[in-house]
Amino acid sequence: MLNRPAIVAVGRTKFGEHYGKEPEKLIEEAWLAASNECNLERKDLEACYMSDCFLPITNKLGLEEGFLSELTELHVPMEVTRSFSAALLTACHAIQAGVYNTVLVGGIEKMTDRWDKIRDDLMLLEDPWSYFAGGTPESNHELLLRAYIKKYHITGENLEKLNVALAYVSVKNHANATKNKNAQYQRPITVEQVLHARKTAHKPLGMFDFAPISDGASALILTSEATAKKRCDKPVSVLACSSATDYLNYSAREDLSRFVAAEIAMKNALQTAKIALSDMQVIEISDQSTMMELASLEDLGFIEPGTAWKGIYESYQNNRNFYEINGKQIFVNTDGGLKADGNPFGATGGAQIFEVYRQLRGEAGTRQVKFVDGSPKKGCVSEFEGFGTKAYVTILGEKKS
Amino acid sequence: MSSEPIERRVSYLGDRLRASRCQSCGKEYFEVRDYCSNCGRKSYGKMENIDLFYDKGKLELCTFINEPTNKFMKLSSFVYGIVSFHNGKIRVPARLTDQLISDAKDIDLTSLEGREVVPRFRRRYSVGKSEVVPTISLAFTLADEYYPHQEYKVTAPNKEYQLPGVVGYGVYTSKFRIKEAGLERAVPFVDEDSITAAVEAGKLALIHSGVDSKLIGKVYVGSESNPYSVKPIASKVAQVLKLGEEDGDVQGVDAVDTEFACKAATSMFKDACALVSYPRSGIKYAMAIGADNSQAAPRGCPGGELDTFVGYGGAAFIFGKNDVIAQVEGWYSCTSDTPDFWRRDGEAFPMHGGRFTGDPAYFKHVRKSTCKLMERFNLKANDIAYFVAHQPNPQFPARIAKELGFKDEQYLPGIMINKFGNTYSGCVPLSLASILDIAKPEELILVGSYGSGAGSDAYLLRTTNQLVDKRKQQKANVKFQAENPFIEYVDYQTYRRFKLGM
Repeated sequence: MLNRPAIVAVGRTKFGEHYGKEPEKLIEEAWLAASNECNLERKDLEACYMSDCFLPITNKLGLEEGFLSELTELHVPMEVTRSFSAALLTACHAIQAGVYNTVLVGGIEKMTDRWDKIRDDLMLLEDPWSYFAGGTPESNHELLLRAYIKKYHITGENLEKLNVALAYVSVKNHANATKNKNAQYQRPITVEQVLHARKTAHKPLGMFDFAPISDGASALILTSEATAKKRCDKPVSVLACSSATDYLNYSAREDLSRFVAAEIAMKNALQTAKIALSDMQVIEISDQSTMMELASLEDLGFIEPGTAWKGIYESYQNNRNFYEINGKQIFVNTDGGLKADGNPFGATGGAQIFEVYRQLRGEAGTRQVKFVDGSPKKGCVSEFEGFGTKAYVTILGEKKS
Repeated sequence: MSSEPIERRVSYLGDRLRASRCQSCGKEYFEVRDYCSNCGRKSYGKMENIDLFYDKGKLELCTFINEPTNKFMKLSSFVYGIVSFHNGKIRVPARLTDQLISDAKDIDLTSLEGREVVPRFRRRYSVGKSEVVPTISLAFTLADEYYPHQEYKVTAPNKEYQLPGVVGYGVYTSKFRIKEAGLERAVPFVDEDSITAAVEAGKLALIHSGVDSKLIGKVYVGSESNPYSVKPIASKVAQVLKLGEEDGDVQGVDAVDTEFACKAATSMFKDACALVSYPRSGIKYAMAIGADNSQAAPRGCPGGELDTFVGYGGAAFIFGKNDVIAQVEGWYSCTSDTPDFWRRDGEAFPMHGGRFTGDPAYFKHVRKSTCKLMERFNLKANDIAYFVAHQPNPQFPARIAKELGFKDEQYLPGIMINKFGNTYSGCVPLSLASILDIAKPEELILVGSYGSGAGSDAYLLRTTNQLVDKRKQQKANVKFQAENPFIEYVDYQTYRRFKLGM
């Protein structure tokens, strides 16, 4: 790959409710952290790519580039996308094309500023016809689960195991988040709690199965590989960035039990990176619901379709914080995932990249994943916009020699 | 949604469940499309417009919602899922309606999956009082329960009659009832109103008549509970039921709302007859609908005495000269300026002036119109098989029937207030429908409607042989709806909440 992009620094805020802070304050905090980390001067930035999904709705901010310009006192080109992965992908393209050498990628969301209306906004943007028919941000995840159960004829004891496996996704992610000081929920939960919440709601998925509504910001400094070495001693290369799309209306899709866009995005990313899926050791998956972590494991190709619940159930039985697939350990959502780390849409992908970056550099502290040969070498991030409507896959790692 | 253009586009597709089919590959879409994404450019202009309005679907997947989004709060909890049509060629998001879920434990999601469902025309969600009322047919009920699926088959007319008359009719009432003091009254579900009842009744009338909806040249909707002060229910009916020739998104039909308290619809029966008889009108059929979510102030408030009698529902009658099931032999109408019942603009509930109720209003006018009509045709009570009068309460129709010399067996079959309540503009049409359900050919029916304010229309109808033939085209007749095993009874608080709507 020509002008391969590399990440030289990352920064983020704590995710959660920041009712005392303007959205600008959050992004400021995140990008200052990133630029401190690599001693970057503002004047070195040639462009900014920022993502937010809801700021025009939640905070009535229409021209986000303006406040970013004011904040940085820069007049460089700035563009806004809806997700962090999209911002990163665009930034990577610019670096690959040789247009820029050093850019800022940031993400921000301030969902709790509109906590009483955010579910309506979310659903209307995600899938308007489902919204018109009464759908909630949670309901399509439950239908995805129902479709999965029906497609693979999961009944009886197996269905119970599947339900426990889904609960364990949440339990594992909460456990991981206890070691993440930036996480929204830093407390452990139990399988019983997850199951109980479903039972009292009489629903296939309950409160503990869904990622929360969050505020937060994240940022990273992206440079070309050549520039990267001047900025830090161990840059993390972006080996691939890819995206794929699907219909807005979930019910109109061919297969309701999976996200085909995720599968396509991963295939393309692997092709670009010229590596095998089995090389991936730390994975950040978009667990907007526990069901999505399960479905993504299959859609991204890690586990045979229809069997992810078995693998997760095994981890539950052995109380492991990783999944074992074909004798290999893969660590998923070591930061707590969207469920426990938080899910401020535009910033979420940045936190996922943050985590993989830290893990690959061996800087993840108490949650550091270690293999016999040290820190993980490769990792990937999968992010969605909407309910499987856009899927992004970013592969990070050392440059293949 | 505060944007009228968006609202218009959503309801244009969603009310009728408009869809398209590629004539080359057969792929179907829930939207009006100019080309098929499978076949690309070569399919341009070869897409067939279809809709799912009269179809039966299958609930593929479902889940339970007990924390709805803000606009659905008034439904509190419901089943939501995905419905497929045409063996899975089209799938749409779906809300099950008409479910009063008191305990979520009663809902077995897995047993609902796979069940057949029928689309129902309902309010979509709550909006502000000054906004356009959003509607949709992505609300469904189970096909083997209260509201059975009925096929709409257009049939070529067989026989032309000299006199115009009823060609078909449809009666719509909700699944819910309140039972008090020996009276059962229909209660709308929270997503129903007079608009949804008018559309449903019209739909059932089209199914019963077998008349091609594009041949309906005029539609009248009589109601006193239109959610709008200004904007006709009839325009919604015309668009959703595709009345008149369809040209783009405009229907070649005249549609108008009428208001004269409870006789708003019956008053138009004669206009419909006249219109289809006028040789140069070019109108073969006209539809008159009476529908109301009958309003009443809560008990104990001024006007609250009505609260014991009000119902919900409507009936639609199609008039024409072909395949007539009951010819309209004649009519007599009378009017006086008598303020016995009124509702001022902007007021939520009507007032009921006790002084004029009864003799100076109801009895005087109904007596006048029916006696005059009987005189004109030189008829005595025993020449007539059935007598139908307006029913503001159970006593009034019985008293006027006896006064006119009718026996129990002549007027009791047409008394429906004890089953559905007073459905205001829908009351006499619904009661007439209950008689047409059971009458034999060549029988005379005398109708005496009443509208406060005040006036009465009397009609003399003579049934034909075709009355019996057409009954097989109607599963949901009045008796079926009155004795339906799936009726659900609600308490007073729920009844008031449901009537208030979304």
